[in-house]
Amino acid sequence: MTDYSHTRFIVRFTLVSILWLGSALPAVAQQPAHPTPPDDQAAREALPVYPSLHIAGFGDVNFAAVNRNDGARGFTEGQFTLHMVSALSPRIAFFGEVTFTPRLDAGTGSPAATGFNAEVERAIIRFDQSDALKVSFGRYHTPINWWNTAFHHGQWLQTSISRPEMVQFGGRFIPVHFVGALVEGVAPSGGWNINYQAGIGNGRGSVISRAGDAGDNNDVPALLLNVFTRPDRAFGLQVGASAYSDRITTIGRPDYNERIVAGHAVWQHENPEVIAEIADVRHTQVGTSVTTSSLAYYLQAAYRLPAPARLWKPYYRFEHIDIDSNDVVFADVPNLDVSIFGVRYDISTYVCIKTEGRIRRRAENLPWTNGWFSQIAFTF
Amino acid sequence: MVMVGALHRRIVCQMLWLVLAWPITLGAQPSHDVAVVVHPDVPVDSLTTADLRRLVLGDRGFWPGSLRVTLLLRAPVAYERDVVLKNICEMTEAQFRQHWIAKVFRADTAVAPKIVYSSEMAADLVNRMAGAITFIDAAQVGRGMRVVKIDGRMPGDKGYTLH
Repeated sequence: MTDYSHTRFIVRFTLVSILWLGSALPAVAQQPAHPTPPDDQAAREALPVYPSLHIAGFGDVNFAAVNRNDGARGFTEGQFTLHMVSALSPRIAFFGEVTFTPRLDAGTGSPAATGFNAEVERAIIRFDQSDALKVSFGRYHTPINWWNTAFHHGQWLQTSISRPEMVQFGGRFIPVHFVGALVEGVAPSGGWNINYQAGIGNGRGSVISRAGDAGDNNDVPALLLNVFTRPDRAFGLQVGASAYSDRITTIGRPDYNERIVAGHAVWQHENPEVIAEIADVRHTQVGTSVTTSSLAYYLQAAYRLPAPARLWKPYYRFEHIDIDSNDVVFADVPNLDVSIFGVRYDISTYVCIKTEGRIRRRAENLPWTNGWFSQIAFTF
Repeated sequence: MVMVGALHRRIVCQMLWLVLAWPITLGAQPSHDVAVVVHPDVPVDSLTTADLRRLVLGDRGFWPGSLRVTLLLRAPVAYERDVVLKNICEMTEAQFRQHWIAKVFRADTAVAPKIVYSSEMAADLVNRMAGAITFIDAAQVGRGMRVVKIDGRMPGDKGYTLH
């Protein structure tokens, strides 16, 4: 009897053990394997660490000579730009951009104005679900203009010294900044690589060159949609269009609805490099049907010379801005016709020297202004 | 006189060795295929050249199944890097660096390619990091490495473009 019980106990124990191991082993196998620590320092550094803050910067020093008093002359310090990026997890990242711009009124006023104006240009927290869906919140450069989001404040990145005036920092033609939320991604489209960006935000502030950083000044949000394609069959080509709507509320003026339609075509190789953009801005006074339409466009072409002169990149850009004379919102925005011709010389991988001439006119009855500009731009 | 004769013989011997070794050193120049190796869990067996370009230039950041891509690239002057930049990106080293500086600056991605300093390090990390992709001289691809086809071809196949 005792032997039988003992045998039965052993059989039951064995069966239970087999069942327990059988159920437990797959669970162990499904657990994510912890990465084996790397052997050497280089491999260790390559493994991801969160948060991983990286700081890069851009700077430039400029010289200007002009035949009329139409802007700064002599040597000027450019913007000192710091860019921060930090991956907070495999799918979440923070992007920031801060600039320090020399002030013309430095030392004046009470208290005395500082020498540099500090500005948070971009502060974005983004969640990446996949290539097709990325959601972010923060302060952006408004993605309805290619130049505005391709070069930001990195003068070294752009071929020419100056930005097109339609997206000039502090300019008013296009809202350069956007505070709000953005959904973006690549739509499944075969080899067409159709990208989209859709946003909702505060739109322009009471000073129309600024975004509504401290909140929307009316109850109509700004909406934007940007769609562009980068087809596989034409590597380097990007063609896109965008639309933007907002209500502009300023002190002492009635409200206006703003509608912007823009388009761009860019050939991003360097031999040649071609950038063309156009934007139409329409303002309609709320409660009326009177609409004004202002147009701006530019075309830039550049060419990286072949070896042995491949450090040189000559370029030319024509810009045109035509402001509707009845446009109250753009009453202080000047017209423009300008031709810019110059050359960029890449003295090293991270430093370039640019020099360009500008011939421009604000109106047909005004004289042409000629200027010569030089810049050393770098990233660090 | 004896010293001059010995020196002469030594110079002649060295020149002879250089002449004989010349074809050997030429043959040692790497000109073979570069394999595209991915982490074993990457759910992809084949890529097109355009897919590969988007991966290397950071325009594609996820594998199917939302697995994050980790790009492991050899440091400058490595043969594998030269092949990728020339054949896939159609860029010079300076253009490639500017592209990635701009890419991160535009907030398109938070992670630039990770640099690996040898084929051994690339092979080690590609099997260690989920979603990793790297480029290894096909002659140095070992067992356990997952090589993907490019435009339907494996390294060594006729028409394989990465070399």
